[in-house]
Amino acid sequence: MISVEKAAHAGKESLKSRMAAIGGSFSYEETAYHLPVTFALTGNAVNSAEEAQKAYNASAENPLVAGECLQAFQAARNGKESPPYTGFIPDAVLRTLGYSLVDGSILGLVLVAGSPPAPDTAAGLCRELQEKYMLTFLSGDIIQSLTSSGVKVGAEYRLVPLGSRPSSAIHFIDIIARVAMMFGGVTPGDAGRLLAYAKERAKAIVIVFPGLNDEEIALIDAFCLLGIPVIAAGDYDGDQWIRVQPADAVRTGMELKGIKVSVTAIPIPMACSPAFEGKSIRKEEMQVEFGGGRSPAFELLRVRPAGEVEDGKVTVIGPEIDAIPQGSAAPLGIIIEVAGKQMKKEYEPVLERRIHNFVNYGEGSWHVAQRDLIWVRLSQEAVAKGVRIRDLGTLLAAKFRMDFPDLLDAVQVTLITDEKTALAERTKAGKIYQERDDRILGMRDTDVDTFYSCTLCQTFAPNHVCIITPERPALCGAISWLDGKIAFEIAPAGANQPVEKGKIIDMDRGEFEGVNRFVKKASHGEVDRCSLYSIMEYPMTCCGCFECIALTLPEVNGFMVVNREYKGLTPSGMSFSTLAGTIGGGAQTPGFAGISKSYILSDRFLQAEGGIERLVWMPAILMQELKGRLVENLRKKGVESLIDKIADETKAGTIEELASFLVSVDHPVLAMKPLF
Amino acid sequence: MGLSTLSEWTGRIGELVIGASHAEGGTRSHVVRIGGERDLPYIGTHPSGHKPLVAYELADDPSLWPAAATRYIGDWVHDTADWAAYAEKEYTPDLIRLHLTSTRHRGFSDTSRIGTTIESVLQATRLPLIVEGSDDPAMDSAVYQKIGEAAEGERILLGTAEAGRYRSVAAAAMAYGHSVIAQSPIDINLAKQLNILLRETGLPSDRIAIDPYTGALGYGFEYSYSVMERIRYSALKGDTDLAMPMISSATDSLTVKEVREAQGSEAEKTAVAWELYSMLPATIAGASIVCVRHPLSIAGLKSAIDSLWNGENVEGV
Repeated sequence: MISVEKAAHAGKESLKSRMAAIGGSFSYEETAYHLPVTFALTGNAVNSAEEAQKAYNASAENPLVAGECLQAFQAARNGKESPPYTGFIPDAVLRTLGYSLVDGSILGLVLVAGSPPAPDTAAGLCRELQEKYMLTFLSGDIIQSLTSSGVKVGAEYRLVPLGSRPSSAIHFIDIIARVAMMFGGVTPGDAGRLLAYAKERAKAIVIVFPGLNDEEIALIDAFCLLGIPVIAAGDYDGDQWIRVQPADAVRTGMELKGIKVSVTAIPIPMACSPAFEGKSIRKEEMQVEFGGGRSPAFELLRVRPAGEVEDGKVTVIGPEIDAIPQGSAAPLGIIIEVAGKQMKKEYEPVLERRIHNFVNYGEGSWHVAQRDLIWVRLSQEAVAKGVRIRDLGTLLAAKFRMDFPDLLDAVQVTLITDEKTALAERTKAGKIYQERDDRILGMRDTDVDTFYSCTLCQTFAPNHVCIITPERPALCGAISWLDGKIAFEIAPAGANQPVEKGKIIDMDRGEFEGVNRFVKKASHGEVDRCSLYSIMEYPMTCCGCFECIALTLPEVNGFMVVNREYKGLTPSGMSFSTLAGTIGGGAQTPGFAGISKSYILSDRFLQAEGGIERLVWMPAILMQELKGRLVENLRKKGVESLIDKIADETKAGTIEELASFLVSVDHPVLAMKPLF
Repeated sequence: MGLSTLSEWTGRIGELVIGASHAEGGTRSHVVRIGGERDLPYIGTHPSGHKPLVAYELADDPSLWPAAATRYIGDWVHDTADWAAYAEKEYTPDLIRLHLTSTRHRGFSDTSRIGTTIESVLQATRLPLIVEGSDDPAMDSAVYQKIGEAAEGERILLGTAEAGRYRSVAAAAMAYGHSVIAQSPIDINLAKQLNILLRETGLPSDRIAIDPYTGALGYGFEYSYSVMERIRYSALKGDTDLAMPMISSATDSLTVKEVREAQGSEAEKTAVAWELYSMLPATIAGASIVCVRHPLSIAGLKSAIDSLWNGENVEGV
């Protein structure tokens, strides 16, 4: 076992004494960047030994600078190595290379240095790199090892042989330094920018085999400063060197640098596209169903350490589709385990919500609801074409990787159709759901300084801005304050941005200086003021996605709420769709508000005009959905009797019927101050 | 015109430079600057920003070019470089826009010829150049690399990036120091999204021109006009992701039925009218470069732009 620390120390001393011994003039040809590493790090253009020594001192004796100066010095003294070795690569070639990196035809850069134990190891590693669209540079004996086992090297094979000694590895860094200066706007001498560029943007990894001398170890060790992971497939022991088996080297390196080969086609016998999202599978078309109250079913997404997740692995525990009678209900547990460097536990529910979309993307699969309420169906047509339960797992694993390429490195799916296992796992899942709920429950708007925006709908309502608070979810009902916060963390330039609440203008109406400022900018100057808890004064704009519409009924001095699912006429004389056409499109319409169902349950529900006590009508279907929680809320407020005073279409279909109904039940609006 | 603005704008359109002079390592006789507006076009005694420019479009394979455009030019079309030189001398456009229509042939693979064509056009004309590459994603990588390389140092405007295929164009612009036309299908949000995507590749925003896609007059031009206005309003209101100069070309003008079917002395008049009456309004909606294919459209368009810019009343316009 070689100690990297000791070897690097000795190597630095050796580089230092060799630097002191050089003389004369030398430079690289066909480049505008002099000795690129030295130039980028120090800003010094080196053409002679004296200048080299000066730059080396300026860099605080950086081994990269020494390595480059010595390499250039030797090339000038002894001439370039003969082909296939490339030595220093001219600017013109590099531009092409930079082009391919931006263009996406290569995904990243890899340096492989040293002497692999067996030719097969090297050949296998390089084949894997080629398959994964990496451009590989080779330094040292590996080149001999490859050619002797018949592997062709050369730029056209994406295997670039830099030089016969591992010290030629410095060319790998001069390439990165020049790409940073050409493409990254890094100015020579700005070492800080160079390091940041190399760390954040350069998709580069190094794989080292045995056979490096002390100087070469010092050189490679210095790569770590640039954020380039050093993967050791040999007996090296260093703090920053990651030891792996040769077979795992490529995967480990790519994961560390977040380089991902994108999944393009999902290998299942069923089409998969958002185009199928709205398609439902009726009972007569279905082969089998899961959950929906007929059998136990649940879904759960969990983050796991990278080592415990094998990307793309799908396990089915229990009977497959052919062992389940047609038309029956079977148990189903969907457990998705993900790993990713940037993945956090808090993101779990947001990603878990996507299971719904992804399953619906399948032409023959259908999904509703969430958590342990899910209801999933597979169609007879799909099963006849060969779709099996396992394919749902393949679909989910692939879609998660495709849609969250930056977040997830690996996704594995377990599908449980065995009743006993499903029940046991569902109990465990239940505890996790509860923990998640406890996190948002009881959060108040007054507890936070920041709300979140949503401008996802600006594609069709260009001036609409949703403001999401702990007590007022997005009007579509799909995004809570926590979801907004997490979405911002996942995609900082995305549609959910933090909105500083700022000074309170009117707490009753929910008008805040910071919110107004944000809304004005995000609505392109169209909306100056926005109150979050009022329907009459500066209500929030609506896109078109609202779950419900709340509107004032001046004749009875109250509000009514109608949900999207209700198809009939309301006491306002209009149906949901007519109303939606009136208020959507990003306009502010006093007297009307697009809201989510859960906002009706919020203590902030249109509080400026009296809140829930002014609610006089909602469709029976909506009342049925909310009743349990609404009764609880009313009980806490001490107005439990209100629940029976809210009319529905069976009690009042017209405004006249509603007026007489309200009198008959003595609804509190009768005593409230007039809305207008 | 002596009008003053009615709005208090906060944004400013970025400035884009096309062409590189000898001093800057190129071979152009002059460079052009577009953008820089702080107000709507033609507003004020001295309108803000730079005056709109007229580009003349030509093609390296004239068989894939509208007959109304090639008929008038005649034999010059058979040599792209001669065509460009002749157009510069006779019709004095502000820029030349070269469409590499040869790449649209099935099975095209001769990228080295593209390089030769671009080099010969760069020698034949001293005007700043706009170059349009392939429209097939499968060959983008090879084609744009060749264009970028052949025009290195000349700071051309390179088209066209779209949401689904922008990487090769951006890569060529970054590798060889050019700017990019970012085209979106008459949709302000997609225009913005593409600009963000381009920025994420590392392309600076002062090297992007927005092409909101322009329909021909009578065939959807009003949608393009409206989206150009909205892009410009957003930019002036402070949306920096849309604060780039715009380029507009009524690509289909010379192939619409009315132009195709016009006979005799009406033929040229109809072709010019179709281009003039879409491209002049495009400048009013905010376009900084307007492109035409009929050589006779150039003079009329330039004088109309001048008169609006200088606030003069010109007879007959």
